[in-house]
Amino acid sequence: MGDRDHPDYKILVVDDEPDLERLVRQRMRRHIRKGKYGFEFAGNGVEALEVLREKKDIDIVLSDINMPKMDGLTLLQQIPEVNSDLRSVIVSAYGDMENIRTAMNRGAFDFVTKPIDFTDLEVTIERTLRHLDEWRAALASRDKLVAIQNELDVATKIQQSILPDTFPHVDGCEVYGCMHAARNVGGDFFDVINLNAGRIGLAVADVSDKGVPAALFMMSSRTLLKGAAIGVEDPSTVLREVNDLLNETNDAAMFVTVFYGVYDPSTRVLTFSNGGHNPPLVVHPDGSSEELELTGGLALGAIPGFEYGQASVRLSPGDLVIFFTDGVTEAIDVSNEEFGLESVQDLFREPPTPTAREAAEMILRAVKDFAGEAPQFDDLTCMTLRVADE
Amino acid sequence: MNVQVEHHDKVLVARVEGRVDSSNSQDFERQLQGAIGEDVNAVVIDLGQLAYISSAGLRVVLLVAKTLGQRNVSISLCALSDPVQSVFEISGFNRIIQIYDTQADALAAAG
Repeated sequence: MGDRDHPDYKILVVDDEPDLERLVRQRMRRHIRKGKYGFEFAGNGVEALEVLREKKDIDIVLSDINMPKMDGLTLLQQIPEVNSDLRSVIVSAYGDMENIRTAMNRGAFDFVTKPIDFTDLEVTIERTLRHLDEWRAALASRDKLVAIQNELDVATKIQQSILPDTFPHVDGCEVYGCMHAARNVGGDFFDVINLNAGRIGLAVADVSDKGVPAALFMMSSRTLLKGAAIGVEDPSTVLREVNDLLNETNDAAMFVTVFYGVYDPSTRVLTFSNGGHNPPLVVHPDGSSEELELTGGLALGAIPGFEYGQASVRLSPGDLVIFFTDGVTEAIDVSNEEFGLESVQDLFREPPTPTAREAAEMILRAVKDFAGEAPQFDDLTCMTLRVADE
Repeated sequence: MNVQVEHHDKVLVARVEGRVDSSNSQDFERQLQGAIGEDVNAVVIDLGQLAYISSAGLRVVLLVAKTLGQRNVSISLCALSDPVQSVFEISGFNRIIQIYDTQADALAAAG
């Protein structure tokens, strides 16, 4: 509730009749004392616009029609330029339908007739204020929707901005990665981490579900993973640490599937631990390919204290390792057919293996061609490691 | 996606049909949580008619399993099709949630 100095609603009365101010203050005194209405007065349209420019919190303009300098009908036309968040009520002579019609056409919300019946005026003011409240509530919820949309856009930008866009130049191998986000903010990420002794940490991950919560969970997973990767040697220990940290606060039962591997270009050995993620595919120079073994892992964030397994594979010159998320293999076309792992394998049957970048781009292009007009439900992420030829 | 519920004494069997992905996972969660009453000792989720489950759907299964775990209500899954079985194996959820070949096996273990 308002008080006398800060009324709930402010009404600007515009009339060249000097006695009206005294009359209004007298007849509305109870409302004024309770802080419900506050009144401002102006003697014509020009003065009214000055008041509106100065006081932005006027809710209702109650205006006479015939006034010197600027009449009420002209005032009606000019009000929206000064304040569009108020409603006007016009005061007209009884039966003056022509002016009333013009006023309504120029945006007046309602009218009262002279001589002013204050009971009728109160009803009109109340009705106008109720309408104004609802209008403002509708505007507020529209603004909220816009804010949510902006929030989603921000989350999309965050997701894109944390992905690596330059890749380490290391003798003996090349690395590339890219992601095409679905329309709803998803939770895919990949990371390429420079470790000591020329080794490279390679991570690809997919957070359950979509939207802003998934994006936030993705952000913290990615930060924790990078931190652990730099501090700890074994991929299985990295996943265990990240899993335990993610489980500390995770009431929503979100989880993230993570493949994390460390590649040493000097020995061509990839040591990896799979936390519930689609196993990467190793493509050999002759066009054959197989998936890396699962290491008895579990998606991160599901339960604390889980011990992750680990395995190693020695790659050969010309080998191509494809790390991806299920957005690739589970992409569907218009008839609900899945792209599938075999379609990925088919892309590389003909030797030699392409470069890391070509391979990743070939896969994303093939998925898009396959999906055609079918909507993209999931992020598409693809990261590639190609061992240099001998 | 549709969830059908049957009661076998104090064991609740929820049969899930169709596809569960991020577009209907909230509905899946509501139906599943809503079906599980207070006087239930065990929950068997029959996935025999489930064609596809995405990670958003797995999250719901995990959430239900965690909630039931806190109430000491056992949960198991049964009759998974090959693609769905493979989703549980890759994610590792088969290590933390009991999976049976048939509903009869699951009921026998739950009874």
